[in-house]
Amino acid sequence: MTDREVDQQLVERVQRGDKHAFDLLVSKYQRKLGRLISRFVRDPAEAEDVTQDAFIKAYRALPGFRGESAFYTWLYRIGINTAKNHLLANKRRAPTSTPFDAEESESFEEASLLREVNTPENELMSKQVVDVVQASLQQLPEDLRSALTLREIEGLSYEEIASVMNCPIGTVRSRIFRAREAVAENLRPLLETSKGKRW
Amino acid sequence: MKQKISVLMDGELFEDEAASLLDHIKRDSDLHKDWGVYHLIGDVLRQPEHIHCDLSAKVRERLQDEPTVLAPRGRTVKQRMRTIALSAAASLSAVGVVAWMSLQISPEVAPQMAMQQTALRPVGMQTRTNSNDYLIAHQEFSPSTDMNGGASYIRTVSYSRDEAPVKNNPDEK
Repeated sequence: MTDREVDQQLVERVQRGDKHAFDLLVSKYQRKLGRLISRFVRDPAEAEDVTQDAFIKAYRALPGFRGESAFYTWLYRIGINTAKNHLLANKRRAPTSTPFDAEESESFEEASLLREVNTPENELMSKQVVDVVQASLQQLPEDLRSALTLREIEGLSYEEIASVMNCPIGTVRSRIFRAREAVAENLRPLLETSKGKRW
Repeated sequence: MKQKISVLMDGELFEDEAASLLDHIKRDSDLHKDWGVYHLIGDVLRQPEHIHCDLSAKVRERLQDEPTVLAPRGRTVKQRMRTIALSAAASLSAVGVVAWMSLQISPEVAPQMAMQQTALRPVGMQTRTNSNDYLIAHQEFSPSTDMNGGASYIRTVSYSRDEAPVKNNPDEK
């Protein structure tokens, strides 16, 4: 079952009245969508509100989503429209003069445009999360670190990772899980202490 | 169960297992958190400079005010393909059945029936002109008239040249 099919299954659950399934989609795409919207809306508080609005609009529009495109492409389109409408309502121009679609925006990596203006509290929290994840990754045994890196950063499939690491697919599955769980173990206390705040 | 979440988010879980796992996540808030934490780890590894705060709680709160969406059971692309495939299979089956049935009707049957008819045909049935006149004259009283219409006037007769005509009416001579 591909990533797109997982999304489609979640979408179909939402269409049958399961709000919890939409929650899983929000957890999955909130940072990607937030990153996209922050390219249009520079103020972080505003960007956060616009991201929430985009998710709510997506939820309302979901009955009409038929799975002809990937869910995330559809969601990003809603995100871009919501951000542009927000700027129009405030009579501001989007920070880009050339139109680009959702797929292009995914690979749009100009640091000057992408850099967010976070609040000190957010910046500190972001930094702590990143530090914990990266430190945890460095502490992992080589085979676990390689498996997780090949999957998350390089985007290889289990079959490809098995070929690269010269091991069975079952071993790849196990290594990636153990790596994730080891990092998550270090991350959970930080996320719990900031519960009710912004994380 | 956690390992299955890890496999699901990598798009490597089978469909039936995924459906079952999503049901478990729905019931277990810890599994739901694991789903969120694993995705956060992936986002941090890919884009460490663009980590946003968690919006899911706020979106969830706002969704409580939203009416539950209920879409009519629309057909997905996959379901549509399945329907087309089933329709094609049904059509082929129908054609196959018709072809099979047509092969079962032997072409020798028709000649056999024709031969039987020849064998059963009464030879030498004598034509009686006066009885034919009588039948035609009383046709309107026949109970089969309304059903058969003009067909009731049709009679099967045979004629043989070898036989001498029957003399029914002495006045004809």
